[in-house]
Amino acid sequence: MQEKMAAVTTIEEPQPAVQPLEKPKEGPKPAFEPQDIPRMLEILEKRMNRPLAASLAACVHCGLCTEACHYYASTKNPEFAPAYKADLLRKVYKKRYDWLGRLFPSWVGGKELSPELAEKMYDLVFGACTVCRRCSLNCPMGVDYASIMATARYMMAAMNRLPEGLKATIDMHLETGNNMGISEEELVETLEWIQEELQAELEDPTARIPLNQKGAKYFLTMNPREPKYYPLTIQAEAKILHAAKESYTISTKYWDATNYCLFIGDGANGRKVAQWQVEDVERLGCEYLLAAECGHGYRSIRWEAANWLGRQPNFKVIAFQELLARYIQDGRIKLDPSRNPKRVTYHDPCNAAKSGGIIEEPRVVLRAAVEDFVELKHNRQFSYCCGGGGGALTMTEFAKRRLEAAKVKAEEIAATGAKIVATSCHNCLDQLAEINRHYKLGVEIKLLCELVADALIMD
Amino acid sequence: MHYEGALRFLMEEVQYMALAFMALVYAAKVGWFLRKPGVRDKAPLKGNPALGAVVSLGNILMPWAMESTRVHWFFYLEFLIFHGAVALTILSTFLIPFGIMAPGDGFSRVVVVAMGLAFLVGVRRLIRRISRAELRLISSPDDYFALVVLNLFFLSGIWALGTADTTGMWVFFIMTTFFLVYVPFSKISHYITYPFARWYYGVNFGGRGVIAKAVRSSS
Repeated sequence: MQEKMAAVTTIEEPQPAVQPLEKPKEGPKPAFEPQDIPRMLEILEKRMNRPLAASLAACVHCGLCTEACHYYASTKNPEFAPAYKADLLRKVYKKRYDWLGRLFPSWVGGKELSPELAEKMYDLVFGACTVCRRCSLNCPMGVDYASIMATARYMMAAMNRLPEGLKATIDMHLETGNNMGISEEELVETLEWIQEELQAELEDPTARIPLNQKGAKYFLTMNPREPKYYPLTIQAEAKILHAAKESYTISTKYWDATNYCLFIGDGANGRKVAQWQVEDVERLGCEYLLAAECGHGYRSIRWEAANWLGRQPNFKVIAFQELLARYIQDGRIKLDPSRNPKRVTYHDPCNAAKSGGIIEEPRVVLRAAVEDFVELKHNRQFSYCCGGGGGALTMTEFAKRRLEAAKVKAEEIAATGAKIVATSCHNCLDQLAEINRHYKLGVEIKLLCELVADALIMD
Repeated sequence: MHYEGALRFLMEEVQYMALAFMALVYAAKVGWFLRKPGVRDKAPLKGNPALGAVVSLGNILMPWAMESTRVHWFFYLEFLIFHGAVALTILSTFLIPFGIMAPGDGFSRVVVVAMGLAFLVGVRRLIRRISRAELRLISSPDDYFALVVLNLFFLSGIWALGTADTTGMWVFFIMTTFFLVYVPFSKISHYITYPFARWYYGVNFGGRGVIAKAVRSSS
């Protein structure tokens, strides 16, 4: 892992060959050591670009970001204030880059990076921040907290100090091509079974799930949780695409929409994963990559991939919820909202809304697909994070804190009186399911495609 | 009103030297910043980065755009008073030496009232910083000192412009000199760094279609 991470600071280097890792997995280390510090500082120096420098320098400690954070809003723990969490790295910045801080560090809050400070950073940057960017939307100074957190996370991850579950997920992806290690045979078998189910549901033997079809218009990606645990999601997607008479395909080679390298700010491995995806879409000659309802996966391939690769891919990227909105607006699919009579509210995935710009499309979909749609008190890009972002679901050591921090979201859901919480992200889906159980909300959690599939009027 | 001798030297030559020093430090700071690589999204954009930058920079005048200022509207009002008074006080230090404004005249009275209100805001901000746990956690000596010294600056301004006392004018301009030299190194220099942060945030998230919509569809 350390070797793998070492390449990341030089993201301008030529791209490495796309090959699965051959090194055996090595568990993350339990604590920082003094010899980690110079390397961490070197990473900080190499990643110091203008947005990061501006974000580190501009904070005036006004505290207006505090209530924006769901960790703070739910627990009132002052250590969960975004400015405090960002200050753990800002202290290092002040000590090393601020002129007054170099001479009198304690005067401006500067501090030398030490294993103790790094441990504190580990606890709060991994364990009390989902990198949702809600604080930035409430910061008068325009501080981009996510860039600070991504840098801090990478400084730690490069030392092999990162949550074990997150590391395991990334390693699995890099080793097998998808983050759950699903084999091609297993996938094909699942997809064939779903196709049979779809044909039975529609009583239409022409309803197919096309695999590896060159020249298809859309290249549909999936979150590995779909073939593994939620095959009905794929059935819902296939049903909608069939109803729209769409040209699409699923690749059995590289189909994973996720890219957990984003969660540790790992540009080199993020690029590697993105490159697999890009090469496979280009191999099949598809016009669009159709991203599964996966917040970070969409953001990774739609926005970050071109930055990591240094070029725009030869195809366009569209999210499933964007395509749904387009179908509805163009009349490509007909929906009967009375088939979804229960009250529905929508949780905006942070990576899709706050970092991805998908804001109104889900509303277009829900207004057409359900009878009674109500907004959460905080909605669109201003929505509170559910607590499942930033790879939090993989970090079992912080699970208790994650659920405590979801209190504000649970209260907002309960206040709507909704029976169904819709969302467009598998991490959100799983976290909302946990919130539902923990806070006894008694709601169903569904993806948009499932609600649309239920409302579809087939010709 | 014209000032002579040492006070005039303080008001003019010393101020110019201090201003030149401040400009040099800022130029060096901005130069360091601009030597760092800029970052722009390479993906095809969904929104408008220019509009995003405008909205982001204009955010300071749009308290309705952020929940933090929408809910804490009094905090925003205090911000306007405080920073407005700072601007008026600085303006005064340029006008007084040329006799364009003088203690007791109409404009001076306006500035004195502004400084008085700003002093009250400053005291409240200091109490807030001391009394709230999350602010105590993030506050450095520079954060407290900035508030204390600005409050003293307002008091010296009130003394100088609210009375015809020459001693008040001495104190006011000595403090002005101190500010010109100290500010570039302190948190008070945020007016230089914040436009950069806002610009980059606006360009990047305006391009992604997040920022410019924030004004229209805030919850």
